[in-house]
Amino acid sequence: MITVSGLTKKYGERTVVDDVSFTLEPGTVTGFLGPNGAGKTTTMRMITGLVPATSGSALVDGRPYASLPNPGAVVGTLLDASAVHPGRSGRAHLRLLADTIGVAPHRVDQVLEQVGLTSAARRRVGGYSLGMRQRLGIAGALLADPQVLMFDEPANGLDPEGIRWMRDLLRGHAARGGTVLLSSHLLGEVEHTVDRLLVIGAGRIVADGAVAQLLGSDGAAVRAVDPAGLARSLEAAGFHVQHGDDGELVVSGTDPAQVGAVAAAGGHALIDLRPVERGLEDLFFQLTTAS
Amino acid sequence: MTGAVDPCSPRSFPETPMTDTLNRSSTPVPAPVRSTGASLPALVGLEMRKSLSTRSGRSLAVAAVALAPVATALSATTADAIGSAAGPIGGMGMLTALVLMSLGVLATAGEWSQRTVQTTFLLVPQRRRVLAAKAVAVASLGAVVAALSAALSAGVLAVAMHGLSWDEAPRALAVVVAAGAVFAVIGAGVGAALGNTPGALTSLYLLLLGVIPLVESLEPEIAQKINPAEAVMNLSMGHLQTTSALILSGWVVLTLAAGAVLTTRRQVA
Repeated sequence: MITVSGLTKKYGERTVVDDVSFTLEPGTVTGFLGPNGAGKTTTMRMITGLVPATSGSALVDGRPYASLPNPGAVVGTLLDASAVHPGRSGRAHLRLLADTIGVAPHRVDQVLEQVGLTSAARRRVGGYSLGMRQRLGIAGALLADPQVLMFDEPANGLDPEGIRWMRDLLRGHAARGGTVLLSSHLLGEVEHTVDRLLVIGAGRIVADGAVAQLLGSDGAAVRAVDPAGLARSLEAAGFHVQHGDDGELVVSGTDPAQVGAVAAAGGHALIDLRPVERGLEDLFFQLTTAS
Repeated sequence: MTGAVDPCSPRSFPETPMTDTLNRSSTPVPAPVRSTGASLPALVGLEMRKSLSTRSGRSLAVAAVALAPVATALSATTADAIGSAAGPIGGMGMLTALVLMSLGVLATAGEWSQRTVQTTFLLVPQRRRVLAAKAVAVASLGAVVAALSAALSAGVLAVAMHGLSWDEAPRALAVVVAAGAVFAVIGAGVGAALGNTPGALTSLYLLLLGVIPLVESLEPEIAQKINPAEAVMNLSMGHLQTTSALILSGWVVLTLAAGAVLTTRRQVA
């Protein structure tokens, strides 16, 4: 479990991370979302002690990362996939990590297989594509099969198949009781991977909650044979109705069941009735501009 | 450093139930993980492997071994016979030491320049411990490379030049081995302090081959108290033993201290 409280980073007058607090629970995948420069990477680097915090604390299993006896055995971190010496082979790189963490050498071959790099293992990392480097970074994080996985923008450079593979990997890890923190600036990338969203904008946490709760239905869209008649009935029932394109009515603050009930009571024939889902982009825009 | 002999910790999150292993055969059952950090000797071994597992590191080591014997062979064919073998062994050993300084720089500054320092500190957050391991690692490599190189140079001298006195050669050989270690550590210290390979290499070579020789010509008394290359030459010839040893110790202590302070403060971004 990771507990972050009041984590703050200032560079002179500029506050990059501002009083960030959250707890990561075992068995969940948390998506850390925000535009580039919002403070995601700095927060993750403060958690792992790479960047000293100006104030606040981050604890992994109740102690600062740097005082874990063997941190690589507890937290698998992927921060910057290009931070690998280009002159070493993927295998040589992982062998060094395995010996530093203290896992048996055969784990190197297992994780290479797991990330699909077995055939490229003896090639120099300098010749790897960005996606291959991401896979190598993920392989390194998986070496000790740590309880916590913390990945910064892991989808960068991965193809759609790779993103799906990573989704299965992270979901599987959480299903086995692991803790996952996954950052992204592209909301669609993580929407189907995460249980919980932690949204950061300009260094502050602007939303923290279950995906369903944050992205819940925000009204209903309905099309009827007689749009004007249905609109009158809905307004009479006290709903706020907006007229959309093609005779579509958008009813805010409700769900399709209530709209359907009004239509049935008024004898209106419906062509289409569905919930209006608040897109992640909309949510994000709304949250970060409001703050 | 194998998992088998280390104290092993149970995995800290629920194991896959045994009945599940059959249908999850594609997921490997993970090996036990050491619960403690790597020991200092283990870290030293890892740092030596790091230095020699890149092409640049290997090339430097090979160049450091080969340079002095080749230079000795070239000069032996042109120069007149000199009195003592200690002189050329010491002089050529200084060349080796200057190359080994780069090996030290790469071990520390190279990690910052390649940003691999991120992974290093994620796995071993005690940065001074990492620097200590690097210092011991490059000192050991430097000593071994310098010994090989000096032995080859001595062989070349023995074959190519007759009538040399070998009385003082053992001391010169010992000094060259020590110089290899000392200059590699100086490189590692300055590399750790500056955190940038080109910057550290330029500063060091400019200082040792430009600034100090310049001071030497203008203010010889000052230069004699700081010049590590001259200290090595004096030691190999048996002159000013104490002063020279102090000069070299001063360089090692100051560069490592600067490296430790600045490495600890620098953020890994």
